[in-house]
Amino acid sequence: MPEVEYSTTMRLAPESVWEFVRDMNNWAPFLTGYQGHEIESDTDSVWTLKGDVGVLSRTVRLKAHVTEWNGPERVSFTLVGLDEVVEGGGTLTIGKPSELMAPARGPSLWRRFVDGIFRWLFRAMHGKGPRRLQTSRADAASQLTFKLRMDAGGPSGPLVNAMLAPALKPAAEDLANKIAAHLETLHGVG
Amino acid sequence: MWFSKAKPHLETDVIVIGSGGAGLTAALAASQGGAKVVVIEKSSRVGGTTAVSGGVLWIPTNHHMRAAGIADSRAEALTYIKRLADGRSDDALIETFVDEAPQMLKFIEEVTPLKFAALPRYPDYHPEFDGAKPGGRSLDPGLFDTKLLGPWREKLRRSPVFGMTAMSVTEATEWGVFAKPRALPFKLLGQRFSEGLVCYGGALVGGLLRALLDRAIEPMLSTSARELLVEDGRVVGLRVEKDGKPLVLSARRGVILASGGFEWSKELVARFLGGLITHPNSPPTNEGDGLKMAMALGADLGNMNEAWWCPSIDIPKEEYDGQQLHRGDFAIRSLPHSILVNRRGRRFVNEAHNYNDMMKPFFTFDPVSYDRPNLPAWLILDAQFVERYALLTVIPGMPVPEWIPKAATLRELAAKIGVDADGLDATVARFNGFALAGVDNDFQRGASLYDHFYGDPEHRPNPNLGTIEKGPFYALEVHPGAIGTKGGTRVDARAQVLHVRGTPIAGLYAAGNVMAGITGAGYPGAGSTIGTAMTFGYIAGRAAARAQ
Repeated sequence: MPEVEYSTTMRLAPESVWEFVRDMNNWAPFLTGYQGHEIESDTDSVWTLKGDVGVLSRTVRLKAHVTEWNGPERVSFTLVGLDEVVEGGGTLTIGKPSELMAPARGPSLWRRFVDGIFRWLFRAMHGKGPRRLQTSRADAASQLTFKLRMDAGGPSGPLVNAMLAPALKPAAEDLANKIAAHLETLHGVG
Repeated sequence: MWFSKAKPHLETDVIVIGSGGAGLTAALAASQGGAKVVVIEKSSRVGGTTAVSGGVLWIPTNHHMRAAGIADSRAEALTYIKRLADGRSDDALIETFVDEAPQMLKFIEEVTPLKFAALPRYPDYHPEFDGAKPGGRSLDPGLFDTKLLGPWREKLRRSPVFGMTAMSVTEATEWGVFAKPRALPFKLLGQRFSEGLVCYGGALVGGLLRALLDRAIEPMLSTSARELLVEDGRVVGLRVEKDGKPLVLSARRGVILASGGFEWSKELVARFLGGLITHPNSPPTNEGDGLKMAMALGADLGNMNEAWWCPSIDIPKEEYDGQQLHRGDFAIRSLPHSILVNRRGRRFVNEAHNYNDMMKPFFTFDPVSYDRPNLPAWLILDAQFVERYALLTVIPGMPVPEWIPKAATLRELAAKIGVDADGLDATVARFNGFALAGVDNDFQRGASLYDHFYGDPEHRPNPNLGTIEKGPFYALEVHPGAIGTKGGTRVDARAQVLHVRGTPIAGLYAAGNVMAGITGAGYPGAGSTIGTAMTFGYIAGRAAARAQ
């Protein structure tokens, strides 16, 4: 079963991040291939996403069900395909960087470089300035971790999973980075 | 004609336009002949139409079928192809193909990592005709490991239909890819996908590209040919646009057009094919660029009203290269428990016939109603079909997508899709009688060895005929599609493009779907498109390398 995890940091208190993340309407448009979403209840929604399977691009509808609202730390959800035999789920976890990631396992130089490029691009597009986390201000810092897993069912599941796997990691990175860049811009900490 | 005085940005001996089977073979042949070669490709991926195809080559009298004990002869091949061409092609070019194709095959196996295998059970497309064979002329390129391409791995075009799974044609045949989809080794196929193995057209192009890279020839991608340059009546180069910048390329010995068909050009399809190709199966870059450039020099044209036809089905919002993907249907219409009907609910063709020829009745014109009564056309299936066979990407046991029209009764289904319900009822009742008897008295579906190849060998009494009686019932609209167009520049036996006055245009060669097809309206067997394309690419490459 393809499963990925990605973390990014922000110069914001976890409570500020939670205020944003707790409302799915806020971040659903940041999902890779987002086409639209409908809120059905406090815990249920239907997401329409355009995603890649191998060299194909398909539009899929996924029913999302929130299984855990544990603010200001975590939201967990499950996903079930409405048109395709696929299911999965994920969690968005918010915490202080030191709680979630030991210094020795911090982002690599390459990772920080990529994050920096992403934030520079975001600034160029939106005109405000998200910046790298200043670790000296750890009391106003958060780490956002996005875990995502998807599992194709049916007889052809093993093959579809092999095709899905390469697309999951970029999707997780994309969502976490967009939330981080948006929030830092919104709060003027960039 | 345009006379070039522009200083070139790049000088070489031979320029090849296009990186499909024709272009890459032409480049290898020209290089082997001692020429310095440049290949340009319009898209950002290598492979053209070949890369999205089945990757099979149809080569009469090939050495693999001989090794497998399947007899063939020049005379048989000529008899068969000429019958299918129906007088609409140059007999001399058919002879050239039959004579040169086996040599081309040996050349490719000498200079590339490709090793082909004869497909002894893949019959010619009219196996009952004189000179046809029940198998062996179609050749499988096998699997290819894309890791062998190094950094070019990501630049290999991948097929959206063929080759999504790394399964050779030989394996697909042995495993019963159409009749027994649940039995496919999906875990193994997933592993192969992750390891970078490709098959079908991807394998063929991968092998050709590896050989090209070994000769230090790296295709110029995202490079569109704009205009052929002429000096003293000879083609000496061309203007291109690479990443939006105009460049002039000079060719001392010649330019080879291998730029594919024009099926994605609405203007050219309207002009030459009555607009009938609405759902092409090829990459969207096939817009007739090479054809237009040759026409500007007065090139003679042939076979312009023909295509490699293929019935096509769309999955809504499924895209490839930013365009709606049109999937060629090779099996749904051939398996039991399916029929194809027009809007009156009537069958109008042997559904299991080869994809090229079974398309032609789609275009039947009624002079009284002044329209085409067989369009739109619908495949009608019942629950027995979805319980046994693959429905596009849906394997038995998976839910049928909501977008596919579904109804508890045939009459309800007919109302949903706008088909005459009385007509459909009567058609199904009659067809069910044929299915039980195992004989289709109306269209002879299931009478040919070819039909059986795409049927269910375990289904009795006929592998192509099954009743339509168990609800729910389903419908799929079938559209006029094509693997590519088949009309283009006329050439001589050296693949040199002919002027409308009948003389060769110096320095200009053509191969593949930009060239007037040598099989007229016919499709001799699996791999005829690529077999002829690579053969004339081979001829063009050698001729251009020898030119002074």
